[in-house]
Amino acid sequence: MRKLLILCLFCLGIGFAISNFQGLATKGEFDSLVIDFKENIAATEIDRQLQVLSGQYQLAPRLNSQFSQAEHLYVVKGDRALLDKLRASDLSQDVESIEPNYIYHTTVAPNDPQYSKQWHLHSINAEQAWDENRGKGITVAIIDTGVSQVPDLAQTEFVAGYDFVNDKINADDDNGHGTHVAGTVAQSTNNNYGVAGVAYEAKIMPLKVLSGSGGGTISDIAEAIRFAADNKADVINMSLGGGGESQVMKDAIEYAYNKGVVIIAAAGNENNNSASYPARYARVIGVAATDAQGERAEFSNYGAGVDIAAPGGGHGSKIWQETIDPSTNLPIIVGFQGTSMAAPHVAGVAALIKSTGVTAPAEVFAVLQQSVRKIEQDPQNFYGAGNLDAVAAVKLAQKGKITFNDFFRWLRDNGYLNLRFWIDGGAIALLPKIGMVLGSYLLAFLIRNYLPFGLPLMSGMVAGSSGLFFLKGFYIFDLPQAPFRLLGSSIPELGNAIAGNSILNPVFASVLIPLLLLVVCWSIPQGKWFAVGTSLGVASCLLVSAVIAPNVWLLGDGGIARGFLILNGLLCFGLARFAARGDSQTV
Amino acid sequence: MITVIGGIEHKGFGTGAWALVAEDGTTYELLDCPRDLREVGLHVKVQGTLNDDVMTLAMIGKVLNVNSFEIL
Repeated sequence: MRKLLILCLFCLGIGFAISNFQGLATKGEFDSLVIDFKENIAATEIDRQLQVLSGQYQLAPRLNSQFSQAEHLYVVKGDRALLDKLRASDLSQDVESIEPNYIYHTTVAPNDPQYSKQWHLHSINAEQAWDENRGKGITVAIIDTGVSQVPDLAQTEFVAGYDFVNDKINADDDNGHGTHVAGTVAQSTNNNYGVAGVAYEAKIMPLKVLSGSGGGTISDIAEAIRFAADNKADVINMSLGGGGESQVMKDAIEYAYNKGVVIIAAAGNENNNSASYPARYARVIGVAATDAQGERAEFSNYGAGVDIAAPGGGHGSKIWQETIDPSTNLPIIVGFQGTSMAAPHVAGVAALIKSTGVTAPAEVFAVLQQSVRKIEQDPQNFYGAGNLDAVAAVKLAQKGKITFNDFFRWLRDNGYLNLRFWIDGGAIALLPKIGMVLGSYLLAFLIRNYLPFGLPLMSGMVAGSSGLFFLKGFYIFDLPQAPFRLLGSSIPELGNAIAGNSILNPVFASVLIPLLLLVVCWSIPQGKWFAVGTSLGVASCLLVSAVIAPNVWLLGDGGIARGFLILNGLLCFGLARFAARGDSQTV
Repeated sequence: MITVIGGIEHKGFGTGAWALVAEDGTTYELLDCPRDLREVGLHVKVQGTLNDDVMTLAMIGKVLNVNSFEIL
């Protein structure tokens, strides 16, 4: 059973790795080719070839820039088929290279045609945040005028909500405000339609408490808060406010907060020096509005109760989302302004943070506060902690946690995920090695809360699990190959590296070396994390070996060897967990 | 019951909200505003009660329930 479980974990890990790893999945895009003629070719020959290109292939070759004349560097429009055709033609004799003119971009913008209008998503760095997280698995309750499922929410997941105004299950919008707010949180994105949302893989829970004219009772709102908490909402957005302090409301907020719900509310649009309720309650994150320049919107409340600032329009700028036109009930992409629009930006980022695994409301709030772009001079508390920054928030939330993205980025940066590297490595059993590296990650994932992500830990994991195994394939003429085998071995394999066989030595393939390493390195922080990583790596190597090839010197290749490897693997994991936990407060 | 003298304004929050801006600068939100008051620039005298039990999406000020009004 255990073998099956481990095997499943490995398969899952490998599948996840491949699906997440962009380097292998995408080969780069290009819509033009670069032709680099040889330096010593006569100008007449180049002219002849250019004429062939324009005559035979109907291309319009042009110099890449005014500086390309000396290099004879030309660019033509073309795709993969043309590239192959040109490489096969006699043009190839006259050129140094014909290559795809790859298009580089830092991040990929979503294909929503009106995304360019959404300055507010740019100003919170949403695009870079989406590389890391899009809010999957998180439910955001929209306590508002209801939410209608307009076309640009078609791909957004909904969970059951409630209409507290008319006491019915269906919580459609009859005003347009709630749908707009929901759009900011989770508008369907990359759907070739309309606009984008901050946490577009999050789910929406529509809760209608405001009537079509835009007002609602405190009792309905308090009930909606409790409904959200009882129905597993992770984040509540309240783009509403007014009235006085209310015990009913305060109790409902306390109830939801204690159930782990992050509660966000708009600061209010009175240009007053305190936020309105509910933003002003202690457990609620009050959001002030900023305009396209990042300055306080002229209407935004400030002072007491303002915890953070986010885009809400003002000074002529608007927040663009799809909603319904209440007079026709038809969908419309429209610009609204107000702290109502600022709050859902924060709710969306809170969903991203929660989706990384930081869940306690106090911690989410701390991440939001610490990741803002701070405002130097803010004596009247216009901005609270500062301006919302989605990518900084997500990265801060991930710090101290090893995510798949981080780990594979690290592997890729260190050559491990370069396909050619592996193949050139020679006749090494690749799959077990991949299994060992991934296995060490999966083990680290189990105790992720105690681990700092960093070079020492990752190096340890690779050293313990697989070693620099590609080195095993190095054969340099006349040089002994044993040193390469040694460097290319993981720690458990060291005992048999010099002999050059695959029978594991029971001294090396055990908990002994990680234990010694930990004892020696305990007082050096960097060294200790290397040792913890090594323990995890060795654990993975031993467990994978136990499944695939349990061959241990003196113990044979049967049940005894397998038991020995599993036992030591588990001991290594236990050791890593113990060592990491003992120091968890420094993480 | 309070009496407020001021001008009618329409504030652009969400799909819009009707407001009564008093001579002292205080803004009241006229939720479910009577049809005859829905005209920007009207100078009016309104008698009504402050409603502390509601919250609104406009958040422009206290909600004033209109009992009677007089266009000045």
